[in-house]
Amino acid sequence: MTRKSNTLARSLAGENRQLSLMTVPVVVWYVLFCYLPLFGIAFAFKDFTPKPGQSLLKNLFVNSRWSGLENFSFLFRNPQSGAILLNTLFYNVIFLVAGIVIPVFLAILLTEVHQKRFRGLVQMTLVLPYFLSWVIVSYCVYGFLASDHGQINAVLNALGLASVQWYQSPQYWRAILILTGIWKSCGYSLIIYMCAITAIDRTLYEGAVLDGATFWQQARYITLPLLRPTIATIFILSIGSLLSSDFGLFYQVPMDSGALQEVTQTLDVYVYKALMQQANFSYSSAAAFLQSAVGCALLFLSNALIRRVDRDSALM
Amino acid sequence: MKTRNHSVEAPRISAFNKRANALAIAFFSVVILLAFLPVLLVIMSSVSSEESVSLYGYRFFPREFSLEAFRVMSRSGSTLPGAFLNSVLITLGGTALGLAIMCPCAYALSRKEFGHRKGLMLFLMIPMLFSGGLVATYMVNTQVLRLRNTYLALILPGMCTTWYIMLLRNYFVTTVPDALIESARLDGSQPFQTFLRVALPICTPVVMTVAIFQLFAYWNSWYPALLYIDTNHTELYPLQYVLVNIERTIQAMNRDAAYVSGTNSYDLPSITLRMAMVVVALLPIMILFPFFQRFLKTGLTVGAVKG
Repeated sequence: MTRKSNTLARSLAGENRQLSLMTVPVVVWYVLFCYLPLFGIAFAFKDFTPKPGQSLLKNLFVNSRWSGLENFSFLFRNPQSGAILLNTLFYNVIFLVAGIVIPVFLAILLTEVHQKRFRGLVQMTLVLPYFLSWVIVSYCVYGFLASDHGQINAVLNALGLASVQWYQSPQYWRAILILTGIWKSCGYSLIIYMCAITAIDRTLYEGAVLDGATFWQQARYITLPLLRPTIATIFILSIGSLLSSDFGLFYQVPMDSGALQEVTQTLDVYVYKALMQQANFSYSSAAAFLQSAVGCALLFLSNALIRRVDRDSALM
Repeated sequence: MKTRNHSVEAPRISAFNKRANALAIAFFSVVILLAFLPVLLVIMSSVSSEESVSLYGYRFFPREFSLEAFRVMSRSGSTLPGAFLNSVLITLGGTALGLAIMCPCAYALSRKEFGHRKGLMLFLMIPMLFSGGLVATYMVNTQVLRLRNTYLALILPGMCTTWYIMLLRNYFVTTVPDALIESARLDGSQPFQTFLRVALPICTPVVMTVAIFQLFAYWNSWYPALLYIDTNHTELYPLQYVLVNIERTIQAMNRDAAYVSGTNSYDLPSITLRMAMVVVALLPIMILFPFFQRFLKTGLTVGAVKG
């Protein structure tokens, strides 16, 4: 008996070791690509003055002095910052609202369409842009907006109107970026909401129909309330990235046009440019730190808020 | 607890009568047509002749068909075929490597007898909330790991995601019966063997799902190239990044040309060539897309629908 349990324990330990070994490559990857960069948060609180030929850690922790919140205060005093922050918030709030309202509306309508194959066709066509890179998307947009060969200018000319230099005219770009963003992400949310709707018990609707409920009443009193947990999940996750923006949308789609900067520069674009074009490590990482700290706080905050309103809809 | 009846599908009652249904179909037809137009425009422009585009612009119905752009592209030997090959290598290599390390880890996480399960889960979750940010990532990758101007810079950073590991793990938990693992163990199978011979074959759907998402992600990636590949290492450029750069080069050259005079520059990639290159990047996705529908759907919905 004891010998048997002994061998069992030994074999269990061996299995445990082998299972641990199976996770080693992933652990190593996470250490190198996720945990090692974590010390880089220090960049935000340092006045980074590297000495050539020395290791990164030595440069960061020994050769650079702590500067407290100096980087942040510079960031706030920078006259551009307000506009950058405002841009980021503006687009994100619009995407947050439109990213829920439009797909939910489409999903509620589409679920009721009789033809199964047509439903599939619509979902697949709408989700296609989600799988295209921002580079490809930027050319899809370019096909319309190119100043000399673009489709829109061709139409304008045919109507006897003058061409517009789209990539030099910032006044149109808020609308263009919003449209492009919705076009790319709408299908994804649509599929999520449709799956959530399909999971709703059909007998609820059957009962409602017997009671004479119209389509809109069913949507209002059955579908929407039951979609709440899904909407809440997506809401919480998007709130968490309220200060982040899709770099590709704001950098590549406007083709990095300088004339459009006032409406296209969001925090992510700023972080990239401060790093790559101005080699300004400290401000760049201060901005990035702000972004992830605020995002993290908002995630927990919105989750707590939703938990208070509706316990079941909260994430954590 | 959701009740699911896959076998017995109750007759669906739609809230739409015939007329409402027809209206909805008309509405959605317009929506998908509009949504597809931008992609269609790129494809149509790529098969137009250069003269018709320069005269009439990018059009949905080209005045004149021509595959000249594609011919030039395959001829020009230098950048494009190489970039295509780079993209294929990076895509296949990154996906395969990522799966090779994520699947065993996910399996281990799915086993209750694995002692470090909880700790490891936390270890994988933390990076979802906190990250070092672009600067730190960039500095570590270039100065500590020395990835600048290597293929590895385009492959390694995107290899793992906590989402995918969790997706794989959840599937292992729900689909692989404990009894099966137990009997394999009684037969003397070691965990890794059990994973490879017993668990993995049952879980091909989820592995496929992750594989496809990774394939698309790598094929579409251009940000790592923007960060880590210098302009004098064009031989490492993936297709997407060539597209980013072609535009930059044309813009810069046009700007210069405008200063000098209004001359034509012959050696610049022409207007249709640009779109043809986009089509080369776009086509693999469009071709694979219909085949992968089923996997795409499961992959998309896993993150957000609470079960």
